[in-house]
Formats: sequence, structure tokens, C-alpha cells
Amino acid sequence: MASLTGVSLKLTPLSSSFKPTQVPFLGVSNVNSVSFPSLTMRPGSFRIRISCAAKPETVDKVCKIVRKQLALPADSSVTGESQFAALGADSLDTVEIVMGLEEEFGITLEEESAQSISTVQDAADLIEKLLEKKGA
Amino acid sequence: MNIRCFPRKFSSALPPLVPLQLPSPMETHLWYILPNEVKSVALLNQYSELLSPCERENVNRMGGDQLKKRALLARALVRTTIARYQTNCQMNPRSLKFRKNIYGKPEIGIDVEGKQRKIKNDIIAFAQRYFSPCEVKLLTAISDSEIQRQEFIKLWTLKEAYVKALGKGFSAVPFKTFTIRFKASTIRCFHLPGNSVSEASEVIVESSDDPKNLPNNWQFALLEVAASHYVAICTEKDKIVGGEANRPMKLTVRKTIPFVEDVCVSGTDAVLVLGGIIEQ
Repeated sequence: MASLTGVSLKLTPLSSSFKPTQVPFLGVSNVNSVSFPSLTMRPGSFRIRISCAAKPETVDKVCKIVRKQLALPADSSVTGESQFAALGADSLDTVEIVMGLEEEFGITLEEESAQSISTVQDAADLIEKLLEKKGA
Repeated sequence: MNIRCFPRKFSSALPPLVPLQLPSPMETHLWYILPNEVKSVALLNQYSELLSPCERENVNRMGGDQLKKRALLARALVRTTIARYQTNCQMNPRSLKFRKNIYGKPEIGIDVEGKQRKIKNDIIAFAQRYFSPCEVKLLTAISDSEIQRQEFIKLWTLKEAYVKALGKGFSAVPFKTFTIRFKASTIRCFHLPGNSVSEASEVIVESSDDPKNLPNNWQFALLEVAASHYVAICTEKDKIVGGEANRPMKLTVRKTIPFVEDVCVSGTDAVLVLGGIIEQ
């Protein structure tokens, strides 16, 4: 699954002329991690899954809440890829962060969410999904 | 968890681990390590050698030296302690392989929180969001904000310990669906003469909506350890056939530095019983 922080992306159309050795062109400013399914394929059976990631502003807001909750020094790095556990968050921290996110974004996160989010990006993606549902 | 062990020769750098006798049935052993007491870089490096490559990677992923040290000590503590209970073969803690499987039901849960831990959200707002109405009422009634904070943390650790003991995960047993509270102990306790039994209030759990799960099966211990941390332990009760009496939770607490020393702290100031019927 390719995970992106850029907002716009371009893909070459998937067609029978697609060669296994070519990597689709992704026109984005930064790519966090790109991994593709193994490219042993028959024509037409190739699938690629892209998850549309959250806006940078959402990620930033989450980072801010996480920093505050964990009382991180100003020079410590918190990005979309940051894992809560690696930043020193235990289960109480995670629930406090979830509560902070609920208040900041005006949403309600189910208990399963608190269990399933392990990075800042996970939280931001989930928030945007819920905002979308709410706003739609 | 499944554990497989492969007896191997010890590395010459570390002394052999002192073996331990397994607890008797329904007996709980609690081991803890104080990171501040482990200063030797050489010792920390030796601990690092005990970890699997995956565990070492996890340790290195932690942000900052203090977090790395904590993560390292946690894994070293787990490996060395379990290795010492293997009485059949001389166990090398490095050889332990941990596998998680979905069938493992722990029947014991534990949670630890620092006493001084600050809560960033408003405590009552947090409780209203996550705790049961009964618990919210209890916390709201506490006027001293410091005592309220402490009681909140104690309640959190007890609730966490219960959910972990059930082994179904945080989402399967939402905190709102059960109440944990203290109740003055009215039960008679049987214990061996010479052992100390603390009869602080009994800790009980009441489930709001799951009739299948009998909360009376569970017993709790709430401790203040090393004057710095609250520890909650939840285990299944020892069922006595044909008897009304409840046995206290048999607990031994030891402070350790793997390969260096063990200190039994049960019955000392290092272990204060705040809740539960405990025999140490």
C-alpha cells in the first residue's frame, strides 16, 4: 500500500501495455513510504491500492495534540510516521490523545479506534474519514 | 503466549541466572525493576544481547535515551524472569521465542502508573467520557483536586488490569460497561499463621451489561510500590468447593536487577496495600 502526504497524485493508467518493471509515476511532493505488491503478474490482474491520506493541516493538528499530551521537548521530531508508543505514550496517554482529538475536531471515536491507531498518520486519516462522513 | 526453549551454553560475559521456584497455584509473583538503579552501560549492553533482533529494533525506535532504556529493561526483565522459572533445563534467556496466539487467555492482568502523573484533560470530563456513571459520581464527590487525581489514576489502573485479565481487549470491554469500587471487607479470611494479611477495603467489579461474565470471579490488588507507582493486579479467584470463605490473594513482590540482585520487598514499606485482600 502506498502512503502519501501530498494532496495531488498522478498515475499512469493501468493497461495491458503496463510493463512489470515500470513504477507508476506519482506526482507528489513527498512520499513517506512506498511499497508495491510483488510484480509477478499476468496482464490485467495487477492491482494497486492507494490510501488517500489526510491533509497536512490535520496531521499538524494531531502532532500538536500529541506533543502537548506527551510533554515533548520542542526539538523532538513528531511527524505523520511517528508511532505513539515510540514517543513514550502508554495506554492512558493514547486515550487522552483520542479525547483531545475528539474535542479538537468535534468527532467521536469508538473504543476500537483507540486500539487501532498507532501512528500520527493513522489518527489523522481516521479523523478525516469521520469528518467526511459528518460533513457529507 | 507460547514459549519454546532451546537449552544452550551461556555466554561467558554474564553469570548464570539464579533459578526460581514456580509459584504454587493461585499464587502471584510480581517483579519490578527501577530504571534509576541500573547505571552500568556494560550491563545495559549485556541486556541488549538477550533481546531478539525484532525487540532490539523496537527499543531503538523509541525516541530518546530514557525511553530506550525503559524499553530495554522491560524486555530484559521479561526474558530473564521467565527463563529463571524454567526448572527443567538451564535456560538461556536469549533462546526464548515469544509467539502471540489468539487462544491465550491470560487470567491475570496488571497495570502500572506513576503516582505523580499529570492528567492533561479535565478529570471529570474524561471520566464522563470513559468511566461508568457510578465512578463519575465517586470522583466528582472528591473536592481536593490532588486526591481526585490520585483516585482517578488508581481507578484507571484497576480498570486496565481487569480488561487485561479478561483478555478480550479494550474495545470488547469498554470501560463504561463496568464499575470498580471499594467496599469494606466483611469476609473472613483464612491464611497461614505468620503471613501478614492486609485487610484494606475489598475491590469489587460490577458489570453493567454482561450477565455471562461473572465479575465475582475476579479479585484485585491495588498497591503503591516504591512510593512512586500505583500497581493494580487482577486475577481469577480461587474457587473453594463447598465453602463460603474467600481466600486472600497470595502475592510475593520482588525488586530485581537481572543478573545482579533480587530483593523480596513483600511486607516492607516498598509495597503499600491500598486495596484488596492480600496475603504477602
